[in-house]
Amino acid sequence: MQELLHQIFVAPFTLIYELPDLFIQTIWEGFVAGVLYSLIALGFVLIFKASGVFNFAQGIMVVFAALAMVGLHEMGVPAWLSLILAIAIMWALAWGIERVVLRKLVNQPDAILLMATIGLTLLLKGVGETVFGGEPKSMIHTELGLPTGVTDWNAFGGLVSFQHIDVAAVVIAVLMVIGLGIFFSKTRIGRALRAVADDHQAALSVGISLNQIWVIVWFAAGVVALVTGIMWGARSEVSFALEIIALKALAVLILGGFTSIPGAIVGGLIIGIGEKVFEVYWGSIFGGGVEAWFAYVLALIFLLFRPQGLFGEKIIERV
Amino acid sequence: MNQHVTHVELHAPDDGIAPGAELLRVDDVSLSFGGVKAISDVSFNINKGEIRAIIGPNGAGKTSMLNVINGFYHPQIGTITFRGEVRRRMRPHVAASSGISRTFQNVALFKGMSTLDNIMSGRSLKMNKNFFWQMLYFGPAREEEIEHRHKVEEIIDFLEIAHIRRTPVGKLPYGLQKRVELGRALALEPDLLLLDEPMAGMNLEEKEDMSRFIIEVNQQFGTTIALIEHDMGVVMDLADRVVVLDYGKKIADGSPQEVQANQNVIDAYLGVPH
Repeated sequence: MQELLHQIFVAPFTLIYELPDLFIQTIWEGFVAGVLYSLIALGFVLIFKASGVFNFAQGIMVVFAALAMVGLHEMGVPAWLSLILAIAIMWALAWGIERVVLRKLVNQPDAILLMATIGLTLLLKGVGETVFGGEPKSMIHTELGLPTGVTDWNAFGGLVSFQHIDVAAVVIAVLMVIGLGIFFSKTRIGRALRAVADDHQAALSVGISLNQIWVIVWFAAGVVALVTGIMWGARSEVSFALEIIALKALAVLILGGFTSIPGAIVGGLIIGIGEKVFEVYWGSIFGGGVEAWFAYVLALIFLLFRPQGLFGEKIIERV
Repeated sequence: MNQHVTHVELHAPDDGIAPGAELLRVDDVSLSFGGVKAISDVSFNINKGEIRAIIGPNGAGKTSMLNVINGFYHPQIGTITFRGEVRRRMRPHVAASSGISRTFQNVALFKGMSTLDNIMSGRSLKMNKNFFWQMLYFGPAREEEIEHRHKVEEIIDFLEIAHIRRTPVGKLPYGLQKRVELGRALALEPDLLLLDEPMAGMNLEEKEDMSRFIIEVNQQFGTTIALIEHDMGVVMDLADRVVVLDYGKKIADGSPQEVQANQNVIDAYLGVPH
C-alpha cells in the first residue's frame, strides 16, 4: 500500500524534478498530438454548429482525404497537384453529401442523421479501399515541401528534440485556426454560417440559403480533415487505423463542449498533453498502455460532473 | 442623431406597382397540420404602400398566415400572388430575395452576434462577391463589405441604436432586441415587411417608439407593412385596413372603424355561447 502511494504521489514528481528535459519532451509530444486531436474535433464542431448533425464520419474523412492525396500521387500525379485535387475531392464530397443526404433528411430526428453519417463512414471506407487500396501508405510530406529532420535543444543538462514536421504541424494548425477565425468573423459567408448556427428560421427569413451553407461547412470540415490527415500521416503512415485516433476526438468534444471552437482546441490540448504525461509518469502503475484509454476515462469523469463540457452551452430543455 | 434620418436612402424597390394597387393576394388558403386546421379558406389582399393589420384572438391562425406568406408553411389549398405572380407555395429564400422580410413573435435574432452583425446578416442577399474572394477576405469582397456597412449604419441611426452597435444582442433588453430585429428586416430593403407582434411585451414608451418607427418606415421608405398586433389601440392608430381571423377563418375585413363595429369581431373577442 505504502509503495503504491509512493508510486502515485512521490515517484513521478521526483522524476520530473530530476529529469526536467524528459518532462519538457513529454509535454511537447503531448502538445503536438493534442493539436491534431483539436483539429479533428474542430471538424466535428463546425458541422455540428451549422447543421446540428453529429458527424460520425469526421474520422474517416481524415483518412479518406489523406488517402486520396497519397493515392493520386502513387498514380503518378505530382505532389502539389494531388494536394489540389484532394481539396477538390473534398469539395465534391461536401456537395454530394448535401445533395444526396442532408437535403433529403432535413428536419428528420438527430438519430437519423447520425445513422446517415455512419452510413457515410462505411461508404468512404469502401470507396477508399477500392480506389486507392487498403494497405498502409507513407505520407508524401517531403514532396509537399514540408520539413524533415530534428533540432536538439540542450537544456537542463539534457536534450529535448523537436521534429521539424511537428513544428510545421503546429504552425500550420495555428494558421488554419486563425484563418478560419477571420473568415467566420469578417466575411458575409462567415456571418451567414454563424447565423445558421444560431437560428435556422431567422437565417432563412433573411434569405440565407441553408443548402449553400451546408456545402461550405462540410467543405471546411473536409479541408481541416485533409490537413489533419497529412500531419498524422507524416508522423506514422496513412492507413485506416488512423480512424481509431479520430475517435479520441469524441472525448475531446465531451471535454470542450460540442458547440465551442475554443473548447475543441483546449480540450484537444488537455487530452493530448494529459495522456502523454500520464503514460510516462503514472503508466507503470497500470502496466502501461494508458494512452489508449486515458482520454475516455477523463471524458467519463466530465460527463458525470460537467456534461456540457468546459465551454459548451448548457442545454436546458423544457419538458 | 435625428438629422441622419432625413438622409436615409433606404427605399422599397421600385417594382412598377402603383401605390394603392394590389401587391399581394392570398386566395382560398387552407393549411392544416395533421387533423388540426390552422387556416381554412382565407382570402385577402395587401395593397402597395398600406399598413395592413391581421388581428384575432390567440390561436386564430395569424402567425400561420405570415408563415404561409413568407414560405415557412406550404398551404394544402390556395395560392399566393405576389406582384402578379401566382404561386402555390412560397419558399423562404424566394420570398426574401423577391422583397418580403419579416420579424418574429419571439425575437429570433442571432444571439451570439453583435447588433451590427445581426443587421449586416440582413444584407446577405445583396452581397454577392463569390466564395473565392470571401475566403481571401480581400479585394472586391472587402469593398463590398464596406459599402454595405454604410447602409447598415444608416439603419442603425434611423432606429437610434448606435449606442448598442457592438453589444451582443443576447445581452440587450427585450425592447431593444425587437428594434434590432426590425433593423435586420429593414436591411433587406423589403417591398413588403411582415411584423409579428412588434410590440409584444413592451412598455408604453417602447410601444410609442416602435409605432413611430413603423410609421416612418411606411411613409418615408414607401414600404408596405403587414402586422399582427394584440394592442387594439395601436392597431386602430396604425392600420389602414384590418383583417380579422378567428379559429382559422376570416370573420371581418375592412377599415379599423368598420372592423371595430362588426358584431362577429365583438363576439370573437368577448366570446358568445356557441
